[in-house]
Amino acid sequence: MSAALDKGLVRWLAAAPCADAVAADWLEAQRAQARARVVDQGIPDSKAENWRYTSLTRLLAQGFVHVAEALTAVQRDDLEDLLIPGLESYRVLMVNGRFMPGLSDLHDLPDGVRIAGLAAVLKSDPDALRERLNGSVGDEQPLFAALNTAGLDDGLVILLERGARLERPIELIHLSVGMDEPRVAQPRHIIALGDCAQANLIERYLSLGDSLYCTNAVVEITLGRDAVFTHQRIQSESARAFHLSGLYLSLGAASRYQGTNVGLGASWARTDLYVRFKGEHAECDLQGLYLAGDGQLMDFHLDVDHQLPQCTSRENFSGILYGKGRAVFDGLVRVARDAQQTDAAMTNRNLLLCEGAEVDTKPQLQIHADDVKCSHGTTVGQIDPEQLFYLRSRGISAARARRLLCLGFAGEILDTLVPEALREQVAEQVGRRLEQAPLD
Amino acid sequence: MIAASPAVEAIVASEYEHGFVTEIESDTFPPGLDEGVVRAISARKGEPDFMLDYRLRAFRHWQTMATPKWAQVHYPAIDFQAISYFSAPRSKDGPKSLDEIDPVLLETYNKLGIPIEEQMALSGIAVDAVFDSVSVATTFRVKLAEAGVIFCAISEAVHDYPDLVRQHLGSVVPHTDNFYAALNAAVFSDGTFVYVPKGVRCPMELSTYFRINARNTGQFERTLIIAEADSYVSYLEGCTAPMRDENQLHAAVVELIAMDDAQINYSTVQNWYPGDAMGRGGIYNFVTKRGDCRGARSKISWTQVETGSAITWKYPSCLLRGDDSVGEFYSVAVTKGRQQADTGTKMIHLGRNTSSTIVSKGIAAGEGEQTYRGLVRIAAKAAGARNHTQCDSLLIGARCAAHTVPYIEVKNPTAQLEHEATTSKISDDQLFYCRSRGLTAEDAVAMIVNGFCKEVFKQLPMEFAVEAQKLLSISLEGAVG
Repeated sequence: MSAALDKGLVRWLAAAPCADAVAADWLEAQRAQARARVVDQGIPDSKAENWRYTSLTRLLAQGFVHVAEALTAVQRDDLEDLLIPGLESYRVLMVNGRFMPGLSDLHDLPDGVRIAGLAAVLKSDPDALRERLNGSVGDEQPLFAALNTAGLDDGLVILLERGARLERPIELIHLSVGMDEPRVAQPRHIIALGDCAQANLIERYLSLGDSLYCTNAVVEITLGRDAVFTHQRIQSESARAFHLSGLYLSLGAASRYQGTNVGLGASWARTDLYVRFKGEHAECDLQGLYLAGDGQLMDFHLDVDHQLPQCTSRENFSGILYGKGRAVFDGLVRVARDAQQTDAAMTNRNLLLCEGAEVDTKPQLQIHADDVKCSHGTTVGQIDPEQLFYLRSRGISAARARRLLCLGFAGEILDTLVPEALREQVAEQVGRRLEQAPLD
Repeated sequence: MIAASPAVEAIVASEYEHGFVTEIESDTFPPGLDEGVVRAISARKGEPDFMLDYRLRAFRHWQTMATPKWAQVHYPAIDFQAISYFSAPRSKDGPKSLDEIDPVLLETYNKLGIPIEEQMALSGIAVDAVFDSVSVATTFRVKLAEAGVIFCAISEAVHDYPDLVRQHLGSVVPHTDNFYAALNAAVFSDGTFVYVPKGVRCPMELSTYFRINARNTGQFERTLIIAEADSYVSYLEGCTAPMRDENQLHAAVVELIAMDDAQINYSTVQNWYPGDAMGRGGIYNFVTKRGDCRGARSKISWTQVETGSAITWKYPSCLLRGDDSVGEFYSVAVTKGRQQADTGTKMIHLGRNTSSTIVSKGIAAGEGEQTYRGLVRIAAKAAGARNHTQCDSLLIGARCAAHTVPYIEVKNPTAQLEHEATTSKISDDQLFYCRSRGLTAEDAVAMIVNGFCKEVFKQLPMEFAVEAQKLLSISLEGAVG
């Protein structure tokens, strides 16, 4: 642990939560515990298995400080360009990690659905969150979850009562606006669906301008029995940004989670997905697509823990790498001793387009039960020259043919996005990124 | 689930077949390790100065290292000062024929079912039998010498071919490589040396039987095989060990060097004492094996059948340096009882158009735990590299465990890689099919498991393939039920 790294961490940790988020004793206790946990863990170096391929040096050298207060300069007009045409949603806007009720659109929520800012809930009704906050993360908080807890002050709370349903998706826009000093925003979202509830959440990470900042988001999701949750996360941060996000899932019996993670932006991005099965017959489907171009790092870590029998999980991640882009995929599926009849399949496919691109992939299985069906597969390769030849023989230029084939490769994951309007918008973003890629 | 038949139970209860101790006087150092011991080993073997320097460098480096903890195996910490680092059979006046070999020794081999005379006469395999740490019988030397192949104990090679040893020893596995490689370099007692000159196809399969004997004696074998340009050699290694209560440490180092167009096949059948039903005793097998495909179009192939040892920690690897070189790894690993195995391979692609194949079959039964841990690395300059990896695990019983930890690092866009892994049990349908055709549950399982491992067995030389299949059936029958 070098002194410089230490300083970065201390600065990050020293950031006090917002004054108006002064809170209950239990929250203060949690923050103190999280701070202790950060100090205990220190900075993981490349010997730490979870950070083997991803160095924290560049992140911590930025000296990010916490966003102290809400930025009110953003107006409704600024948002026009960011909205997805044709997408009807309950819209929540967060600017630099702070919930902006004035810019959000939460009218006509059906009965049994509560969507509110975390800070507001902590102020008015803190005990509603007492069991939920860090309920999915647990006590063994990883470094950045602990940092998030220590600096926690705002986020979103989504609570659906038993049987509640949302017809329209919830669209959660994280908008980052550059400040003079590099800032870190640490939103914490707490989502809980009661038995048989259903919802669709679209998380979008966007920025105004080409600014340097850091997002360290933590999302906790708890699904009750038979609940159904669809979750799409589109990360299009600015090209200079640092992005960290941790998703912590607790799945109740026979619940279904379908999630798609698309990583397009940020200079350095790390996503951790933790899945815990709390009841039998639950299903979890994780899809992912990442593009890493010049100087970009895309790191996905999956930890899917089958503690109970008869649950199903699918992990399907694809990546396209070019320029000096780097990707890391570390997927771990664990099956505990009594988790019989587990069905788990993990796939990671990578397309390397240029010299200088690099991928490090590590799909792991840890299996302690015998009556299971588990598999994983990984491929690393290039565009098939025969497919290229086919397209070229039909008069399509080499560069365009390559882009088409890349889009086709990405299509498998893009197809899991709903509704149509979102899928089209993301496919267009991917297409634009590929236009800029040096594929000629 | 199928009810266990009485025959099965008998096999489950059966004790390790090859467990016995030969009473033969050993010339053994007292336990403990310091610089004096390293010097004494070197002096006892009358080694030239360069060897002593090498050992001392390794020992000093070893003292700065910590035991590796990353493998998924659990065992009490080893007290390296409680181990004796040298043990040599008494009669060591250089036997020239079998008549001169201590009859007690010969009988030991006979009990193991490895009658040296028979092997000499019938199978045409040259046997360099290692009893504890000093080679006592080397056969077929003359015939090999005619072909120009050097096949001898490494301690002899140090005297007879010092230049070759000095040039190559530690060039593939440097003494700084890892904790156990450093320890081995400091205290290795003996092992095998093979040199195949340019253009020579070794006229027979070379084979060494290892046997651990003498209580509390760590066995530190060192093997060095050099295949010069355009040569070919196939080497077989097989082992059994007597029953023990204390854990025995085995930290071998194997180095292979293949020059242009050379090919080395290295096969292992390992059946050391795995410990009793409670997991007491058993061998700790911490081995560093690495092959260097130094020349263009060279090929190194590792095949292993691992059924023994309490703990196996072993990653036969290939450095694919030469253009168009090929690396292969075929493995069957069985863990039952309380056995633990963390094994796999590393394929480091450095040259152009290099290719590698990994086929790993893991079978876990009882409370056995096993991990496939592998690395495939494609360096930035390794254009046109190709790898295919397949690791399958078969689980027998609800208390066993199988893990897969592959690392894949690709820095070149022309690489083509596939990795597949599956974990499953023997399906009830397969069993039902076999049983409906009159096979007993035991036979059905043996057949299905043998089919599961076939891809690996067919890589073994025929004599070994038969032994391996038999070993597998015996190892597994007890675990099915």
